[in-house]
Amino acid sequence: MKLLITGATGYIGKRLVQAAKSHGHQVVVATRADLDLLSPRAFVMPAGIDALFHLAAITDAKLSNPTNEIKAASYLFTAAAQNGAKLVFVSSQAAREDAPTDYGRTKWQIEQLALSVNGCVVRPGQVYGGFESGLFGVLSTVVRKLPCYPAFLPAPKIQPIHVDDLVAALISCATTSGLESSILNAGAERPISFTSFLHAIAQHWVKRTRLPLPVPVVVIRLAIAVLGTNLSKKMGLERLTSLFDLKTMETTEDLKRLGISLRSLHSGMSRSGDSRRRNLASEGRALLHYVLGTQPDQALIRRYVRSIELLRDGLPLGISALMLKHPVLIALLDEPGRSTSERAAEFTWRLNAAMVFAEASTAGGARFLGLGNRAGFVVNAFAISRTLVMEIVWRVVRLISKPIYTPRVLRDKEIR
Amino acid sequence: MTAERTADFDVIVVGSGPAGVSAAFPLVQAGLKVLMVDGGLENTLSPPSQPYLDARATDSDQWKWMIGRDFHSLKFADAVSPKLRAPTHSYVFERYEKTNQVVGENFVALGSLAQGGLSNAWGCGVAKLSAQELSEYPFNAGDIESSYETVTRRIGISGKATDDLTDYFGLDAWAEKPIEIDALQSALLVKYQTSRNKLLPNGFRLGRSRVAALSENKDDRKACDLSGNCLWGCDRKALYSAMDDLSALKRFSNFTHHSGIIVERISRRNEHPCIEGQDSSSGSVGAFSISGKKVLLAAGTLATTRLAMMALGINHSLKMQACPVAAFMLWRPRSLGLSRTAAFGLGQLSFALSLDGNSSQTTNAFGSLFNTTGIPVSEFAKFMPLRKSLGIQFLRSLLSSCAVGNVYLPGSYTNASLTLDAENTLRVSGVYQEGVDALMKEAQKKLRSSFLKLGAVMLPKSFTLSKPGGDLHHACSLPMRREPTIGETNADGELFGLNDVYVVDGACLTAISEKSHTLTIMANADRIGRGLLFSLDRK
Repeated sequence: MKLLITGATGYIGKRLVQAAKSHGHQVVVATRADLDLLSPRAFVMPAGIDALFHLAAITDAKLSNPTNEIKAASYLFTAAAQNGAKLVFVSSQAAREDAPTDYGRTKWQIEQLALSVNGCVVRPGQVYGGFESGLFGVLSTVVRKLPCYPAFLPAPKIQPIHVDDLVAALISCATTSGLESSILNAGAERPISFTSFLHAIAQHWVKRTRLPLPVPVVVIRLAIAVLGTNLSKKMGLERLTSLFDLKTMETTEDLKRLGISLRSLHSGMSRSGDSRRRNLASEGRALLHYVLGTQPDQALIRRYVRSIELLRDGLPLGISALMLKHPVLIALLDEPGRSTSERAAEFTWRLNAAMVFAEASTAGGARFLGLGNRAGFVVNAFAISRTLVMEIVWRVVRLISKPIYTPRVLRDKEIR
Repeated sequence: MTAERTADFDVIVVGSGPAGVSAAFPLVQAGLKVLMVDGGLENTLSPPSQPYLDARATDSDQWKWMIGRDFHSLKFADAVSPKLRAPTHSYVFERYEKTNQVVGENFVALGSLAQGGLSNAWGCGVAKLSAQELSEYPFNAGDIESSYETVTRRIGISGKATDDLTDYFGLDAWAEKPIEIDALQSALLVKYQTSRNKLLPNGFRLGRSRVAALSENKDDRKACDLSGNCLWGCDRKALYSAMDDLSALKRFSNFTHHSGIIVERISRRNEHPCIEGQDSSSGSVGAFSISGKKVLLAAGTLATTRLAMMALGINHSLKMQACPVAAFMLWRPRSLGLSRTAAFGLGQLSFALSLDGNSSQTTNAFGSLFNTTGIPVSEFAKFMPLRKSLGIQFLRSLLSSCAVGNVYLPGSYTNASLTLDAENTLRVSGVYQEGVDALMKEAQKKLRSSFLKLGAVMLPKSFTLSKPGGDLHHACSLPMRREPTIGETNADGELFGLNDVYVVDGACLTAISEKSHTLTIMANADRIGRGLLFSLDRK
């Protein structure tokens, strides 16, 4: 597809351009010369555009000019509609007709324009990750430079989304049919407090110890009242009211329609080069190898890693290097029967997941159903006896080794 | 003024599942103006289009329908049945409890917001209640006989056979020949025919299952071709779904279908009952209020009961029935080494079992046997007392000589109760009656010895009792009575204390036996629909 992107140099825009190109799409970037939000004029659409992504916005409160921003969007959307291009507009969780800020109200107005031409509107929650830019850049800088981070009371609830997950959602808007004329909420299904979000930045992104400093919301509101709208706008305080007045979004259904699942905050906050993911992949490879009896496909390992990040805590169990190297030894961990500890239960959950992934593959068809294997009474009777003998052997080995060795994975209360 | 007093529709049916469509047919055919509303969820993930074993051997995207791109089957790892984990069925069960404010407390509480309701994922078992089983009902067995016939002919059933269950099912007059049986179950049946004299005194009878699955093409639905995809959904539409009836109804100009509607309450406007709630069908959510001369509730037992309790202000708890169910596994040693062949995945053989319990009265149990090929091996391996990698190899060799069975007891053996709390949330709790453990033990013993005589071993420790409600046969919460009182319905299905509002789904059944009860819900809905024709005529 040929995609036109406005705001391509921004936080989300940059990642969108990268991802679209790596998906094999042709990308055309609209520069400020093509589209000036401060002095709008009719927009000339390049030829053959299949989809338009409107990301450009006035983010500097001092330059705020809703009328022109809306007008510029209107010119842009008209051009897209006339040229039969799909339209994807990146709005905000703050968008509301009665939003407390210009920013939120403007987003809402532009949303209406987008919907009127069958456009697709995406409302992202708190965008984070990738590199330090946009609001995430500001927050990272604050956390890095100050010894404390603000813990607003009561804590506003936000729904984080990794910038790359958002980008995947945007591309899905252009490539999936049936999403026209809808507003799609993209953010974590379960809101978290703004305080724990800042804490995650400190712990996993900046990797420093930072203490929360309680700041009552009433104090900020009071300051805004005292300073007046203009002054508080200049100081960036007015944008905070957007944060305090966020309404929780229902995202489960929309994420499903978009066909994406979000990575956990923990995994999104770790920079690439982090060993966590590599270790999780080794764990997946070993468990899958153990149930499949052969080297698993890369695709299976990826699925395993993604599911642990999505449905569990996203951290590797810490299976020993020896077992990772010789997956057959995982039989020492895999004890049938009810799990006696939380860690053992987690191991069982993951092993079952690996089994389910392994089965749902062509290799699994052969391994689990014996497709292509020799049938017959004798062959199968022998195979069954062999497994029973092997089970007894493993049980004996385990029994003997128990007093001298408890695998790390099954030990409780160990800090990973 | 007169215009204001007319209702928007003659009849409004809430829900498009088996009950809703069955009640609607006679009304629509008589030319009445009928509106049907439902939650509107539709399937977004197609079942496999090639035979199961081919797909398993060659489809590199099989994880998308076996696990789901959002890892659906892992998210529901603890659900009571593999069907609840199948991503192709996720839409059937999605959001029902949350949207309808239903909470199960140690009880499996489910329903459907899908077009066609739970029938999109059912086991297709059908049976007719005998005159004796209908004796508690406030009408004569003869009153529902023609409805059984109408419904059965419409949905298409198979399994007709001269066997020991012919009278038990009572449907052969309207059934087609059975779907081809697999080698293992065929061997069991052959053995039964020669040794039945030894088994009948044990209270054990065996025969072909009667199922709402096609052995002959019917309209645009194709006969079963043994592709083995039953668990995931049939792309030939051989398995009945109320969706098929819904498309037939939509051809009538006097029938209106409005999908994507959540009915939140029943009210009254100008002497007519009225449904009110949220319409999310056009993307944006808006309130609606529509009146009908009659309103028929077919929203699924739990949602229907909640709407009735709210409308009547019932603040005591209501009783509900559900069939205690257990599952077990059979192994036929002589079949060891059979190669895997795809087969019909729903009931092939069924059995009726009489149990003595502690009392003098006999209790009946009913169950069916299923081929194991279409069920993921992981579903078995996770329960095996073997290390996973060994368990997988063990099952690879063993499963082709195994069959899975289930066994049901009558619904009165579950004491379930429904209570509306201050926030109008319906709380569903329930326990099995005391006698159930003993009865299930007896069933296990009798089944073990009966199947042993047929050459099959019940695998040790395989017999497991499900959690209460796990059968999903929720019924009898607003039972029909000759002289109803608050929280009950009359013989026409009309709610006591709420004129012109009828209950046509499982909620209004008076009692459910051990048999599959869906066909009875449908026949009863048809019967109520016909009854309505008279009362609307009179007015």
